[in-house]
Amino acid sequence: MNTTLFLQQLINGVSLGMVYAIFALGYTLVFSILGIINFSHSAVFTLGAYFTYAFMGLSWGFNGLLARQSLPLELPFVLAMLAGGVVAGLVAVVIERAAFKPLRQRGADPLLTLVSSLGIAVALVNLIQFLVGAEAYSYPSARVLGPLGLPPALNLSTPEAPLIIPTVRVVIIFASLIILALLVLLINATKVGKAMRAVAEDGTTASLLGINTDRIILFTFFLSGLIGGVAGTLVGLSVTITGPYLGISFGLKGLAVIVLGGLGNIPGAVLGGLVIGIAETFAPSSLKDAVAFVILFLILLARPQGLLGKAVVQKV
Amino acid sequence: MSAMLSVQNLTRTFGGLVAVNDVSFCVEEGEIFGLIGPNGAGKTTLFNLVTGLTPVTSGRQFYRDTETTRMKPHQIAALGIARTFQNIRLFGSLSALDNVMIAQHLHTRAGVFDGVLSTPRARSEERHVYDYSMTLLEKVNLASRAHQEARSFPYGDQRRLEIARALALQPKLLLLDEPGAGMNPNEKAELSDFIRHVHEEFDLTIVLIEHNVPMVMGLCDRIAVLNFGVLIALGTPSAVQNDPAVIEAYLGD
Amino acid sequence: MEGFITTYGFLMVTMTLQAMLALSLYLPLMAGQLSLASPGFYALGGFVAAVMSKSVFGFTNQQVFPLPLVFVEMAVAAAICAVVAILIGVPALRLRGIYLALATIAFVEVVRVVALNLEITGQAIGIFGVPQPFSRSFDYMALTLPMLLLAIFFVYRLERSRVGRAFSALREDELAAAAMGINPTRYKVLAFVMGAVLAGIVGVVNAHLLNTWNTRQGTFDVAILVLAYVIIGGSRTFLGPVAGGLLLTALPEVLRAAAGIQGLPAPVAQFLQDGRLIIFGVLIAVGTLFFPQGLITPRMFRRWRAAHPQPAAARRKEAQA
Ligand SMILES: Nc1ncnc2c1ncn2[C@@H]1O[C@H](COP(=O)(O)OP(=O)(O)OP(=O)(O)O)[C@@H](O)[C@H]1O
Ligand SMILES: [Mg+2]
Repeated sequence: MNTTLFLQQLINGVSLGMVYAIFALGYTLVFSILGIINFSHSAVFTLGAYFTYAFMGLSWGFNGLLARQSLPLELPFVLAMLAGGVVAGLVAVVIERAAFKPLRQRGADPLLTLVSSLGIAVALVNLIQFLVGAEAYSYPSARVLGPLGLPPALNLSTPEAPLIIPTVRVVIIFASLIILALLVLLINATKVGKAMRAVAEDGTTASLLGINTDRIILFTFFLSGLIGGVAGTLVGLSVTITGPYLGISFGLKGLAVIVLGGLGNIPGAVLGGLVIGIAETFAPSSLKDAVAFVILFLILLARPQGLLGKAVVQKV
Repeated sequence: MSAMLSVQNLTRTFGGLVAVNDVSFCVEEGEIFGLIGPNGAGKTTLFNLVTGLTPVTSGRQFYRDTETTRMKPHQIAALGIARTFQNIRLFGSLSALDNVMIAQHLHTRAGVFDGVLSTPRARSEERHVYDYSMTLLEKVNLASRAHQEARSFPYGDQRRLEIARALALQPKLLLLDEPGAGMNPNEKAELSDFIRHVHEEFDLTIVLIEHNVPMVMGLCDRIAVLNFGVLIALGTPSAVQNDPAVIEAYLGD
Repeated sequence: MEGFITTYGFLMVTMTLQAMLALSLYLPLMAGQLSLASPGFYALGGFVAAVMSKSVFGFTNQQVFPLPLVFVEMAVAAAICAVVAILIGVPALRLRGIYLALATIAFVEVVRVVALNLEITGQAIGIFGVPQPFSRSFDYMALTLPMLLLAIFFVYRLERSRVGRAFSALREDELAAAAMGINPTRYKVLAFVMGAVLAGIVGVVNAHLLNTWNTRQGTFDVAILVLAYVIIGGSRTFLGPVAGGLLLTALPEVLRAAAGIQGLPAPVAQFLQDGRLIIFGVLIAVGTLFFPQGLITPRMFRRWRAAHPQPAAARRKEAQA
């Protein structure tokens, strides 16, 4: 493999890996606070992509209840993405109130919550299909890059090595880095972030210290939905919105990412995302989908707690 | 090596903490052997090492002539070592009877197909297991509640059920980790009698962790004292009671 | 009746098969292991049937496939699944909870991608024209209903045997079980292998029933759906998964049928028709709220048993006295 191809693939891999990481962070946030896998996150992710499409004022296809309708507003891509993320965050908040909180109050088994979140994922995915059909949608690239003043491709060639990279890849990497930086800042440097960490450490103690656990949980769901929705948009940007099931296959990879990195561990999610993203890009395309899981399986055999997870010592 | 149990320079660390520090002693066949020491002295950890639930950091341990240092818990159980747990680990949502029946696993052979087809072998085994379990439950006065969920029992009953479950393994060596914890003086006295009784009846060697000094002194042939993971005294109850190091450990700051 | 059978014959057979898949997930769960590997073995079983019936036995779609050969395929699929399950189970069953679930999902995905790349499994297209032993879907009931009853009987008896008790002990407390002399690895792998074999056998039948087999069978979606069968049905007794499998398989079709009821307002009928999976999802979520222990719980049996004393227990009591 020559250097050019290698660099190109590396950038593709990092861009894919960063999106995996951002998406997986939504799982990790909720897991670290509640100790449950929120499967509906993959549907919220899909919703985010569709919301962005709607906020850009683009019209739906020929199928579904909303066929050929569009919103009477035309936000630029970046604003539409943020608005889409916020609405996705609100959906996550509704899900927490309607499904998770009642189960939590009954002290339900985490497996039960997993199944409940699965039911919600099924409902949401089919709701999307019911409303706007199963066809693919994509954001017109002129409306994405144009306002940012960016060309469709970046020419980084040197006389010896030609290197042309699709701009969206770079945009995705930057957007992911910004999200990641903001998230780290939020968690480490703000009051609400400290409260989140306290609740993650021990919910009971946190509430004794006067932290409103319930509000923190709600906020965590909002945050997880927000970055999930933005991640959905970024994926829609890089590979188009392939249909209502976009998030399901992606959701599975996201789970692989957090388990590989170590559940509830933010650096772990980023590392896991990058490892899987890069490995997938370099693997032969026919084996692409298996690579993540082969890596996951092998790593788990060596480190049952994931790459950066803490080993659990059984107290006797 | 004629001793029932011997540990040699046994050490276990957790991170920087040395929970059991270079401990060596033997337990002779037929003894009731006491293990005492302040909180966090490493008594439970020592039980975990002996039963294989916690891997040994260094040192060696033997059951009779068999080295058990690297053995798995189920292999050690198969040699004839049974235990109870300080923080009670019954199979909570199973019945008391099931708890005791499960512990006869090693003394039965029926495989999947015996069980499913209910072969004569499986049926006769089941009958024996059932009868023996009921006998044991009667010994701890729980036979009338054999079909109740284990976790629904009061604390003291759960402790006695754990002993019955350990006895169901038909062990040679029985390790009891604070069996009297949470019992009132009356119950403790009863428990002492009960331990003496099973020691006779089942021809057991017993190692007992207990904080209650009169109970240990009255029951044990020999006593080992741990402090911060170190074995600081070993001998007859009266010798240990007057050992300056022991008095220091219990009364010192 | 004839019309009902033509319309719903396929559904009824599928219900029995899905109930067995649910049992295949329940088996490792009996030993406390949350494995989602069933769809992988189910896919494997389907490919064994498709390849054997067409290439080994040389039957075509036009011929009636002899039932005894189905049993031969089942035996082969069972053997293959058992071997694969041992190879995967021994290392993977050291993992706990969600880590094990993900490792087994990894297996499901790897099976799919391997099948996508192999000549013999028909790659992306799959295998068409798998010969059928029965001419009508409903006739498969003659095979699948006894299979289901047998599987239920197997699990019922297993739960009350020495091996079943070892499983429950592991489910309750693995360390305590080990201290009682139960070899955790051995029994976890045993439970895992039994689940794998059952799933493989279900795959064999389903390949014939569907007349075709490809990599869209036995995917991750199936894994989580089957998990839903078990959790909604009830994960603490074998009847839970069976009930969950039967009911949840039928539910979307029931909704579809409800859409056809005369006199429904058009939007409602349309929603029942096109939005039935939305309702299905919501019902799963609501189900967890109203039936946190699942539809069927061991407590029901205890109550039933209290009302109807078991003859066996009574006999034992007599022997005791
Ligand atoms: N799994 C573990 N991980 C880390 N530290 C441990 C572990 N198990 C025990 N320890 C530590 O080892 C030390 C000895 O503990 P151990 O439970 O053996 O004491 P003990 O003598 O049984 O005390 P007690 O009388 O309170 O039961 C303690 O400081 C304890 O915190
Ligand atoms: Mg202790």
